[in-house]
Amino acid sequence: MNEIWNIAIDRAVNNNVPRVRSILESYPYINDARKKLRQGKTEVIKDISKYVELTIESVKRNGGNAYFARDAKEVREIVDKIVGDNQRIVMGKSMVAYECGVRDHLIERGKDVWETDLGEFLIQLSNEPPSHIIAPAIHMTKEQASKVVRKVNPDSKAESHEEIAVEARKFLREKFINAQVGITGANAIAADTGSVLLIENEGNIRMTTILPEKHIAIAGVEKILPTLEHAFLEVMVQSAYAGLYPPTYVNLTSGPSSTGDIEMKRVSPAHGPKEFNLILVDNGRIEVSKDPTIWESLLCIRCGRCHFHCPVYRVLGSTWGDPPFTGPMGAMWSYVSYKDATPSTYCVHSGGCREVCPMDINIPKVLEKLKSLSQK
Amino acid sequence: MLYIVSLMDKSLKEALMKVMMSDFTPFPLDKSICTGWATNEPRGGRTILYTGCMYQVAPLSAIFDRFIPILSKNRLFYASLLNLAKKFHPDKAALDRSYKILRSISSLLKKNGINFGYMYEGEPYSGAFLLELGMLSDFERYATLVREKFKQQGVKRIITTDPHSHNALSRYSEFITFDIDVVNYMELLREVGIGKKGDFVIHDSCLYSRFLNKREVYRELLKKAGVSFKEDYMVTSKENSLCCGGPLSPIDERVSKRIGEYRANQLKKVSEKVIVQCPFCYVNLSPYVEAYDIAEVIDSE
Ligand code: SF4
Repeated sequence: MNEIWNIAIDRAVNNNVPRVRSILESYPYINDARKKLRQGKTEVIKDISKYVELTIESVKRNGGNAYFARDAKEVREIVDKIVGDNQRIVMGKSMVAYECGVRDHLIERGKDVWETDLGEFLIQLSNEPPSHIIAPAIHMTKEQASKVVRKVNPDSKAESHEEIAVEARKFLREKFINAQVGITGANAIAADTGSVLLIENEGNIRMTTILPEKHIAIAGVEKILPTLEHAFLEVMVQSAYAGLYPPTYVNLTSGPSSTGDIEMKRVSPAHGPKEFNLILVDNGRIEVSKDPTIWESLLCIRCGRCHFHCPVYRVLGSTWGDPPFTGPMGAMWSYVSYKDATPSTYCVHSGGCREVCPMDINIPKVLEKLKSLSQK
Repeated sequence: MLYIVSLMDKSLKEALMKVMMSDFTPFPLDKSICTGWATNEPRGGRTILYTGCMYQVAPLSAIFDRFIPILSKNRLFYASLLNLAKKFHPDKAALDRSYKILRSISSLLKKNGINFGYMYEGEPYSGAFLLELGMLSDFERYATLVREKFKQQGVKRIITTDPHSHNALSRYSEFITFDIDVVNYMELLREVGIGKKGDFVIHDSCLYSRFLNKREVYRELLKKAGVSFKEDYMVTSKENSLCCGGPLSPIDERVSKRIGEYRANQLKKVSEKVIVQCPFCYVNLSPYVEAYDIAEVIDSE
């Protein structure tokens, strides 16, 4: 495992770090965007309940359903109600769904559930936890990935990155077309318009949000932003700092599909889903928002950049933190979501994370506080 | 994953705190190890050269880190085991080397016209590791006692020699009222000696580089001394340089070493000769690379 991890992480760092640097140099306006985004996020975190209410009202105004779930169990219960007797479910990478155990729960209930993001798909097949917040299969070399795809096609000869991607594409097409429910996360939610924004490069999220009759977006309450303008800034900043700028797709969803083309009467559905559901998840976030130091962890936009600049993550990988939370952000989020402060004890206060975080989160300071809590 | 810090249970921590609060050393220690470098430094004074005993104990720290799990398993014998620790001595060559570095720092300061004294066995440890292990209330408790020590001696200005002490003392004012000036020796040097020959790479102390804003201070000193060093964005830049693994040593020695080796391999790709500014970076990296302390490089005579 160690040797493979060393190869995989070095490849990832050498691909990602120079790319992020050149993106930030080429698009200097990202720097202003991230500052404005931090302000918007701070405003919401200081008054989460108000923004949850505003968001729920806005989603309902658009003809969607919106729910607030206190913990993982409530999330699963709400998902169960929405899914009902439907069998086929496709998922577009949602870390909150992972945090709340949604996939495993649905599989246990006998549903046919498929992750459609290539990385998530690979780790679903290999039955492993994700090792990076936006690149969940980062620990897997292409040699391993080519073995893993043989689980769905024993005759597969896929070896190159391209061939493995094609293999997944072939298998998942049919799943998309026949799925009745699509579950995604959200990169940002606009409180004023009730819109959910999702960025991606594969096209799987667009299909997950459009093809099935029901769309469920599950997101932490900290993903709410005051306005749609802020939400657009979020997707720009997140993708730039993840090294994927411009993102290939930005998906915006404000309620179910509809048409007014016949006598101007607005009816739903049209071609897209007939039902849109947003589940806003607390699961420890509101409590943390009140702590004068740890609240900053909620500013995280999950770009995954801090991981690559952390010596502990570079050596330990996914074994550091509680899945899906790894790396410096994971040491913070293991506490936010699972109240586990022990991963913080591995922080060497190297400080590279703080240097590169687009949200200027003082990660070493948060982890210092968590270290102190871990000893109580 | 096993989080070994949980091995340090409450009673062991209390026992170690007790020793620290009575002896003012990072762990039970023969104090002559700390003072042995100083032969004719003036005693005390308003401005002091502060070692925090860091260079002196760094070669011993691994032994103590291995001692913690043993202590944890022998709760009944804390007191006698802690006394036993006072008999540990660092390897002679390693100790001589650290003494030489401290003497060199002292002589560089004098050459620059800086006057100072040294507190000898009265010099209190800074409490750095309490802060770094997140033992924040213990750190506060301990800092109060250290402040008294400095006050009793009329200390107004502290010249630090290592990043861990500098960081800890600079942060006292976050926890207690502290009005003693803390300055690093490198900031006081206008003139340096003759630089060592060779092509070097800098391994930055994380604390100096990213927390204490000293990154350029020692780069300037190296340039003044005519030392040649190479930079590499992926290895030595402010955002990319990595830790030596040292701070993890008391928590998980194995992972600490893996980080040290990982870092050393990166540095080696730039140069075999590595400059450090911290005695713990030296301990963690020197098994894998040719490491030198900055004081050995800017004053090679
Ligand atoms: S903590 Fe900062 S750098 Fe790390 S994933 Fe979150 S936003 Fe990105």
